[in-house]
Amino acid sequence: MENNKFKNILPYLMVLPSLLITVLFVMYPILNSVIRSFKVSGGSGFTFDNYIYFFTNEIMVKNITYTIFVAFMTVIFTILVAYPFAIYVRFGESKISKFLYNLILIPRFIPGMVAVYAIKQVIGDAGLISRIGALFGMDIQLGFMYTEKGIIYTNLWFNIPFAVLIIGSALSGISKYNLEAAKDVGASNLTIFNKIILPLSYRDSLVAATFVFMSNVGAFTTPYLIGGNSPKMLGVVLNDIFSVYRNYENAAALSVIMFLICSISAGAYIYTNMKRNKWESV
Amino acid sequence: MKKLFSLLLAVLLLLTITGCGSGSEPSSNGATSTSEKETVTLWTGGSENVKNTWIKLAEEFNTNSEYKDKYIFKVEHISSGTGATSLLDRLIAQYKANEENDIYDIVEVSSTEYVTYMQEAGKDIFMILDKSKIPNYSHMTAKMSQGEDQLVPYRGTTVVLAYDSEAIPNPPKTAEELYQWIRENPGKFAYNTPGSGGAGQSFMVTSVYNLMPEEAMTSSDEKWKEEWDKGFDLMKELHPYLYKSGGKVVYPHKNQGALDLLINKQIVMTPAWVDMIISQINQGTMPDTIKMTQLKPGFTGELANLAIPASSKKADAAHAVLDFVLSDAAQTILLDGMGAFPVVDMSGIDSKNAEMLSSFKIEDFRAAEIGSLRSELVQKWDEEIATLE
Repeated sequence: MENNKFKNILPYLMVLPSLLITVLFVMYPILNSVIRSFKVSGGSGFTFDNYIYFFTNEIMVKNITYTIFVAFMTVIFTILVAYPFAIYVRFGESKISKFLYNLILIPRFIPGMVAVYAIKQVIGDAGLISRIGALFGMDIQLGFMYTEKGIIYTNLWFNIPFAVLIIGSALSGISKYNLEAAKDVGASNLTIFNKIILPLSYRDSLVAATFVFMSNVGAFTTPYLIGGNSPKMLGVVLNDIFSVYRNYENAAALSVIMFLICSISAGAYIYTNMKRNKWESV
Repeated sequence: MKKLFSLLLAVLLLLTITGCGSGSEPSSNGATSTSEKETVTLWTGGSENVKNTWIKLAEEFNTNSEYKDKYIFKVEHISSGTGATSLLDRLIAQYKANEENDIYDIVEVSSTEYVTYMQEAGKDIFMILDKSKIPNYSHMTAKMSQGEDQLVPYRGTTVVLAYDSEAIPNPPKTAEELYQWIRENPGKFAYNTPGSGGAGQSFMVTSVYNLMPEEAMTSSDEKWKEEWDKGFDLMKELHPYLYKSGGKVVYPHKNQGALDLLINKQIVMTPAWVDMIISQINQGTMPDTIKMTQLKPGFTGELANLAIPASSKKADAAHAVLDFVLSDAAQTILLDGMGAFPVVDMSGIDSKNAEMLSSFKIEDFRAAEIGSLRSELVQKWDEEIATLE
């Protein structure tokens, strides 16, 4: 009898630690920020001013659209490169493809800050590329530093390996025998892609896309070290408002806005996960 | 078997949670066993070099025959993001909540932070010092504009003009000459964004306050905001002549960002912290062709001070530390370790860094004590200068 009772509560006990952590360190701070974002700066009382500021101030509107633009472009380029690359390393038979698959793991082991400084040393105005050019008497200026181009380029460095890992794991679920069988009955490569590979992997590509999008909306290190002075990405703006201007109510409102931008893509993620085709659930 | 395993797992989970709570006990027991000596704790902030130098100072203090039998000096580094915000916030919060305090006895307070303390908390937050317990105070040469009864300065640092002596044999001597030089040499000067570091911030503050009455520099009165526009017009006018990347004027992030441009020879002049230059030349990460000079009127500097919170219960021990910090031995450690400007007469100090500082005088240090106006100034810069095409 006693044993049964324990069995009943055991699952809850096991969930408890993670539940506590989620409530204390995720739910509570979010709730706190939401409440704070409606408070009058430096006083008490209810106001929408903190939000109105971000949607009426010209600079802030630019910062918001700029952030969405950079995050969106990063997603597009990441998937454009990562998807074909993942197909190649998964189905390629050569040694090169296996080598490349191992190679993409390396960036995951390099701390972000180190990577950003390294990239700066390469693409900077007095960086490696420019110096090699100077050896041959050429003046090569990429013009990447302090622009959105530099941020997107650096983001690709971080995100392509990540996306390849996610898409690659989806592709590894596709059996090579299926592809061979399709070939045997005369399917072209294009047909194989359209009818087999794409339907079985588009969902995971979307998952990768949403993760890439979300991580870039809140990015700080890359835009801070590589980006320009204006417009700025929201992660940098948040740091300015919080630790330089020290306007905590505005900072709270901005966090909520960033949270909402991310939830749009999170919504897309949940939607694609719910909408499973019948034949997939088997 | 399965049951046993799940039981074990549950116990293990519980242990990991409770484990965190009990883990810290032994160490606190250990501390009380040496309690015949009084432990005095300093809260300091800032960068890694500040932290390391304080550790060295504490070692010196704890082995010094004068103090080692009576006190134990402990340094706690309160890390923070930009500037020393969190240390200041914690202190003010503690003061306002009127909480019992036995965790810190001395705090580091910069001269600009002192104004903020006075604005947000008031004079009662710090103890009035008993100078008779700080005999070394009489050797002090630094000049303070406020808080003399509550603060003991222990090091100075200032922003200077750093330049590449190979490219510029005769650097500008006055602020006006510097502005003219910038106009004549487009693309060769940069200052970092004021929000990301003190060097660029000092360029901004002096550009604005050089054109205003002198008393404005030591006032946090809102009325001075009306006179900011002249300085901003100057910065707008200089904007097109600054360092360009990809055809666009850019302001590097962080003090080090501007220094990197100088080291890479992309620019030949920039405002920079004197201690950063000294330590980087010593480490060999900066060529020694980089020299420093101070303009007239100069960039702003700062005194780092120590203060005793009124809530501290160990006033005697804290005074002893303040006295120690002003000794020649401590000042030499500071100059060696971080290129800190001595606040006492330099004749008793023997350091290889002394020569590099010989052209500057601590009496000439200029501080901008404008309190919370500073963050408004940064915000205005972000809105008006950063957004220029």
